[in-house]
Amino acid sequence: MPTWGKPIFSVDIHPDGTKFATGGQGQDSGKVVIWNMSPVLQEDDEKDENVPKMLCQMDNHLACVNCVRWSNGGMYLASGGDDKLIMVWKRATYIGPSTVFGSSGKLANVEQWRCVSILRSHSGDVMDVAWSPHDAWLASCSVDNTVVIWNAVKFPEILATLRGHSGLVKGLTWDPVGKYIASQADDRSLKVWRTLDWQLETSITKPFDECGGTTHVLRLSWSPDGHYLVSAHAMNNSGPTAQIIEREGWKTNMDFVGHRKAVTVVKFNPKIFKKKQKNGSSTKPSCPYCCCAVGSKDRSLSVWLTCLKRPLVVIHELFDKSIMDISWTLNGLGILVCSMDGSVAFLDFSQDELGDPLSEEEKSRIHQSTYGKSLAIMTEAQLSTAVIENPEMLQYQRRQQQLDHKGPVARDAGPTARDTGSATSVAGVVNGESLEDIRKNLLKKQVETRTADGRRRITPLCIAQLDTGDFSTAFFNSIPLSGSLAGTMLSPHSGPPLLPLDPSTPVPFSSSKPSTEPVAGTRPGGDAASKDGVNTATAPTTPSPSVLTTPSKIEPMKAFDSRFTERSKATPGTPALASVTPTAVERLKEQSLVKELRPRDVLESSSDSDEKAPAAKPASLSKRKLELEVETVEKKKKGRPRKDSRLLPMSLSVQSPAALTAEKDTVCVSVPAPALKLPMPGPQRAFTLQVSSDPSMYIEVENEVTAGGGLKLSRLKCSREGKEWETVLPGRVLTAAGSGDVVCVACEKRMLSVFSACGRRLLPPILLPSPISTLHCTGPYVVVVKEESLHSILAGSDMTVSQILLTQHGIPVMNLSDGKAYCFSPSLSTWNLVSDKQDSLAQCADFRSSLPPQDAMLCSGPLAIVQGRASTSGRQAARLFSVPHVVQQETTLAYLESQVAAALALRSSHEYRHWLLLYARFLVSEGFEYRLREICKDLLGPVHMSTGSQWESTVVGLRKRDLLKELLPVIGQNLRFQRLFTECQEQLDLLRDK
Amino acid sequence: MAKVSVLNVAVLENPSPFHSPFRFEISFECNEALADDLEWKIIYVGSAESEEFDQILDSVLVGPVPAGRHMFVFQADAPNPSLIPETDAVGVTVVLITCTYHGQEFIRVGYYVNNEYLSPELRENPPLKPDFSQLQRNILASNPRVTRFHINWDNNMDRLEAIENQDSALGCSLPLSCTPIKGLGLPGCIPGLLPENSMDCI
Repeated sequence: MPTWGKPIFSVDIHPDGTKFATGGQGQDSGKVVIWNMSPVLQEDDEKDENVPKMLCQMDNHLACVNCVRWSNGGMYLASGGDDKLIMVWKRATYIGPSTVFGSSGKLANVEQWRCVSILRSHSGDVMDVAWSPHDAWLASCSVDNTVVIWNAVKFPEILATLRGHSGLVKGLTWDPVGKYIASQADDRSLKVWRTLDWQLETSITKPFDECGGTTHVLRLSWSPDGHYLVSAHAMNNSGPTAQIIEREGWKTNMDFVGHRKAVTVVKFNPKIFKKKQKNGSSTKPSCPYCCCAVGSKDRSLSVWLTCLKRPLVVIHELFDKSIMDISWTLNGLGILVCSMDGSVAFLDFSQDELGDPLSEEEKSRIHQSTYGKSLAIMTEAQLSTAVIENPEMLQYQRRQQQLDHKGPVARDAGPTARDTGSATSVAGVVNGESLEDIRKNLLKKQVETRTADGRRRITPLCIAQLDTGDFSTAFFNSIPLSGSLAGTMLSPHSGPPLLPLDPSTPVPFSSSKPSTEPVAGTRPGGDAASKDGVNTATAPTTPSPSVLTTPSKIEPMKAFDSRFTERSKATPGTPALASVTPTAVERLKEQSLVKELRPRDVLESSSDSDEKAPAAKPASLSKRKLELEVETVEKKKKGRPRKDSRLLPMSLSVQSPAALTAEKDTVCVSVPAPALKLPMPGPQRAFTLQVSSDPSMYIEVENEVTAGGGLKLSRLKCSREGKEWETVLPGRVLTAAGSGDVVCVACEKRMLSVFSACGRRLLPPILLPSPISTLHCTGPYVVVVKEESLHSILAGSDMTVSQILLTQHGIPVMNLSDGKAYCFSPSLSTWNLVSDKQDSLAQCADFRSSLPPQDAMLCSGPLAIVQGRASTSGRQAARLFSVPHVVQQETTLAYLESQVAAALALRSSHEYRHWLLLYARFLVSEGFEYRLREICKDLLGPVHMSTGSQWESTVVGLRKRDLLKELLPVIGQNLRFQRLFTECQEQLDLLRDK
Repeated sequence: MAKVSVLNVAVLENPSPFHSPFRFEISFECNEALADDLEWKIIYVGSAESEEFDQILDSVLVGPVPAGRHMFVFQADAPNPSLIPETDAVGVTVVLITCTYHGQEFIRVGYYVNNEYLSPELRENPPLKPDFSQLQRNILASNPRVTRFHINWDNNMDRLEAIENQDSALGCSLPLSCTPIKGLGLPGCIPGLLPENSMDCI
């Protein structure tokens, strides 16, 4: 492959195996290059001029790039360099320029990678970066002697800075099960840190005592089974070694010996292998083993199997200078090695040499047997190894893969085609006007003004928005959409030709191909092969026989983010607190039912409130009975995924309007509500409004349209993304509201009409008991705020309603001017306080220690939106106040409980889970046994379910027993709760076996 | 990293008579909204001999710049012929487009410009005193020379630090075989070593 002659410090193969990244020194900056993998793997592609070799290069680092690492999901690339920065890259979704402006045509960027985050914290060169196994954390280490843990879901948030090294930290590796992270530094120590509390687990110094001199990097590695950690540069009897550290007790009894100079990099093969079963011979299962590549300053590479005492292969003088980094392909059969001399070599192995790789399933079974099934990360690993079982899915995968393979060819159809393609795609963004038109008139159209000092100032015309946006949103939403990812779901083996995936035909297992060039790494001089020792590496990549049984990761973040795992079908209206509210039981049936609850009489308290009543509503003083009514109209759609529990859905348009079929449930709940004269909309001749949740949607109303014969009608017009519908109504329309799913209008004479997204009338006009004040729609829910309702919330004070919202689950939330927010509970028929800006509990509570690292940042949803910043204050509490511990404990407890309850009231399953876990952690760490037991009991439910049982198996759409499973590892952390832990564990096992 | 990258510069109305204005259609991409305006300049190099003869044809502020792709047309009047040495009026010279943010130049796009008489007679026997009205200006649009400089895009970071970040290792390797035409900042030129808008690479 081409080199730029300057040192290459890092290499990493993309998880889908189609490309790899290198990082190093560029012309006058650091350089990251993304390369196409197929020319490396296949000679034909290498010779084919139409196959791009280099996909993208980024010169954005100001100084040398020391490390490049793909996230496990493949969505992001992180790079760290001498400029003290870490940059996180993401592939731009629109087609960008085909060349870098001003560079010659050869340097075409086939893919566009955009820097989405710059992480600044280190005060010195960044030497290594590493994504945690679940991609939620990114670790970086630096010559400033620290390791920084970044919140990969919310860059640039820092979760922890690990201090303790007294020298330059030059290597990082995560434990494959996510419990530890290890770092190696020039201070002659290797430190292991716990991810639970980010504290030092152990510091290992003995094998490094003799280490003199320095290496540029110390890239250590953890074995995929988690048993061994292998260091870079260690010494044994004045010989350089790679020290093997056992997880069990951190013992240091073994090492890899043989290199003549310091070991710079160790990299474990991602696969675990087992010996090939020879036909006819003993079927005794052999012990699984790992494979490890070691690179050294002595320019040689050795590959070891943990079951052998001698190296599998040693390749001497592979390069002219020190080896800097190693990366294995995901199938474990190929390896890329880069060197300070500016070249990269590729080696491939056959399965005969390495053994049979275990499937991901078997691998996770090993993890399970070693670390127990209760580890939180394990459940994720299990999910990620789901087997694709039905043929349709397989075919879909195959199609995706074909598309993927066509991709590069199509992209390379020629620069002209690409250019026009980009032009049209950009043009689409600008209101349908073609780019050519824009360009023709640009000079005339562009806005030019004079500044105060008389200078010309041009307002540039924006021709495209960037797709950067909210990092976390992109992180989650785009994963299932990515074609390249989808294409790799099945094939971790990245074999460039299509793998035979048809389940009916057996996968050919051919290792019989002649071994062509074993070392395909093209050196600058082109003298690829003919180095000694090379002959041991043989054979082309063989399609793995385990294709069908080892599907690789499917949406790696899936299990991690509860929003995906959430059971989508929450039964709306089913009170979660059913036992407390016998009066307000609402059961939803499949057919429509409208049930009116008598507003509770809450008049008693208002005698003195009348005196305090503000002057703003004198007219209503006599009228004590004001009423606000909330109607929840919900059309339930089967299997509709609840994507997110945010207040404003970003893309509800996913559902075709046709899905709004017959089955719909309508619930009408009258709510006792604020004693306040609400503003009333008066009849207007015509008005237009834009739907806030969907800016492309407009509702137009024209009243009193003469229809001939003296008849007057009102016309309702709705347009959305170019589609329009119209309907007429007999009475004058006062106000209207809409969402992606429904449009509703309030007419005179207290009539409310509801239409589907296509304009079909969904309900006969509803006669409301009193005139309407405000309408609001979210998804399939409609909230109607009417005058005349009463409630203690607003009675007797001069507060006003500042905002009324409706969550995706149809829970109305009301913000008041005093900073309090209430949500309405249909089951209790009450307004419940969910947020209070002046809440003293929130300010005193300190639950930092209970924050689960991977969850801390995932807490977003209606509650977070309602509470705003207030919800984070708890983390700083300890620093702000010095409250006695007992008081703090109590306030924290009370606060966490109210958060759990509030999340429940808002039916925000994601936040409920978050706060429940937090609460449980707090209970565990502070030792509140009774409360903990009560939670577990409720989550577990009766093991032997009788028909008369009142126990609900789900809460806000989450399975209680699944929640309990999540709680178990938390409970297990405190030995005091061992018994509770065992009880729950046993019962869960029992239930599962049933 | 640079917040603004220039995607393309299209040279409009080229070739054109010497006295007609320069027009460049500039598209650029910004990956983070900028707090302040960008300043663009068109500099006409009057003579290869000295930068005394450089003419800033125009400078313009461009803003506000939110994240996204943007384009605008930068139009500037033709150079003042009286400021151009007579010997340099005909032949190849250079026009530069520079962009600065907070007074720091981060990109410089240079084009060769060829000024020639249209009529064969004048080409054969050019008048002693150049006749600018007969000259045609031809910008070699297909071959822009782009130099990018690292600058400090944030207000908070020290200016000093930004300079310190620049790699000085390559700073001295300015090629001696540089073309006699100056001003086309070659890759490797370090802005720190050049005064603002310096036209001399050698």
